[in-house]
Amino acid sequence: MRIVDTKGQHCPAPIIAAKKALKEASMGEKFKVLTDNQTSLDNLCRFLKDNKAEFSVEETKGVWTLTITKKTAEMQPKQTDEYCDKEIPHFTRGNFIIVFSSDKMGEGDSELGYLLMTNFINAIKDFDELPKKMIFYNNGVKLGASDSPVFESLREIEKMGVDLLFCATCAKYYSLEEEIRVGSLGNMFEIAQVMASANNILKP
Amino acid sequence: MKIDLLQMVENGGCSAKISPGQLEEILKYLPLPVDPNILVSIDTHDDAGVYKINDELALVFTIDFFPPVCSDPYEFGMIAAANAISDIYAMGGDPVIALNIGMFPSSKLPAEAYAEILKGGFDKASEAGVRIIGGHTIDDIPPKYGLAVVGYVHPGKIITNACARPGESLILTKPVGTGIILAGQRLGISNEKDVNEAKKQMKLLNRTGADVMKKFNIRAATDITGFGLAGHTLKMAKASRVSITLNMRKVPLIENVYKLADQGCIPGAAFRNLDYADADTSYEENLDYNLKMIAFDAQTSGGLLMSVPQEKTDNVLAELKSVGLLDSSVIGSVATKAEKYLYLSN
Repeated sequence: MRIVDTKGQHCPAPIIAAKKALKEASMGEKFKVLTDNQTSLDNLCRFLKDNKAEFSVEETKGVWTLTITKKTAEMQPKQTDEYCDKEIPHFTRGNFIIVFSSDKMGEGDSELGYLLMTNFINAIKDFDELPKKMIFYNNGVKLGASDSPVFESLREIEKMGVDLLFCATCAKYYSLEEEIRVGSLGNMFEIAQVMASANNILKP
Repeated sequence: MKIDLLQMVENGGCSAKISPGQLEEILKYLPLPVDPNILVSIDTHDDAGVYKINDELALVFTIDFFPPVCSDPYEFGMIAAANAISDIYAMGGDPVIALNIGMFPSSKLPAEAYAEILKGGFDKASEAGVRIIGGHTIDDIPPKYGLAVVGYVHPGKIITNACARPGESLILTKPVGTGIILAGQRLGISNEKDVNEAKKQMKLLNRTGADVMKKFNIRAATDITGFGLAGHTLKMAKASRVSITLNMRKVPLIENVYKLADQGCIPGAAFRNLDYADADTSYEENLDYNLKMIAFDAQTSGGLLMSVPQEKTDNVLAELKSVGLLDSSVIGSVATKAEKYLYLSN
């Protein structure tokens, strides 16, 4: 059985630990949370009661053991997810877009250019602020093909909530319409409009 | 040497307040002063006391101080002063003079740190047009700072938490979540941008919001501090003998507050406030748990919560936004007293 030891910790740390364990547990699974602090115990009990988890408490030598059984699959009502998705982005997005007009970064040796571009795209995930949108045109659309070295990275970035927009004309020109399995295809009007309304445009 | 005040505290800001339930227990043994010139006293748990001098003038009197909410002494001074002066604004008053009240561990921290705290307080007070004319400091750990503030108000124009009327809308002027952000900061899970936003909100004087209240002749308001949005709303409902519904999804939040709450970052003060309000509060059946706990999050130097007659709501809201309080939102409504004082809904 999983044991989450929060001895020596003050709120909210024990709540965070308990909530994480509760989220990770499967239905009906039991786990234990330990605390040596009366206030944390009270708060944990209230938290578990409000979230409809089944639990019991035992005390030995100033340490309380909560034995918890996950009872409801949905920790929060369904609306919460909608609420999360709509109103609260999970990642902070800045007021800038990134434009990819090539599959290489900078002028020079093309092998180096590919490598730099791969590194650049892999770094985006770790930005403090994610871009609002990423736009791909001309050779840039090749980055979104399913055999591109950055394909997985782009999918991850998309999952983090960034819109990826590929130039439809370019995809057609390079016969990549079926190959681009990430983001969406758009016409020049959409691309121009996104660029015109962006505060800052980054172009690697 | 870089001074980090946060190293010295477990509960900063208004989270450090004694629990409201415990405080009521203690205060009930204290006789209420009897004097016809006392216009507002502790019996309605309002933001400040009001004492009538003559038919034209009353004094609004308040005190607030607390342990550090941020690392930088100067910023802490500004926040503590903005928070203390806020009570005058919430009563419809104009702040005039103040005294520093401080505690400082002189053997543990360099004197410059205290000088910086006082400088922050002085600058914020000056911005509010308040003259600091004295103070009092005790050697104690952790540091604490705040102000006792006196303001002027016309006896006929006092804004209290006891005047909310059925049919009115509730408008909040600042986003909620400073307690959660600060707790997250201590655990290293709040990002810097959100911490900066929280500090910006805490430093913001409630003066502009108060000016709008006066302009529209609003009679009922309070400011949101240590007892959280729900706690202060409950106090308003009790004092006004009405029921208030808060629509939690309409409450403006500092970015990532919901996400932090969803991770379980719910400070102890929120549980204390929940405990206090529980008996008088009804929760909508499907109330989102995170929003519920956000409602009880202790705020430091939070916004004004005003009860506004229906026909004025749109204009007040537009005016608040035009003076720069862009997060202002209608977050609830007042009704005749039902079974409970406070109704929390999604």
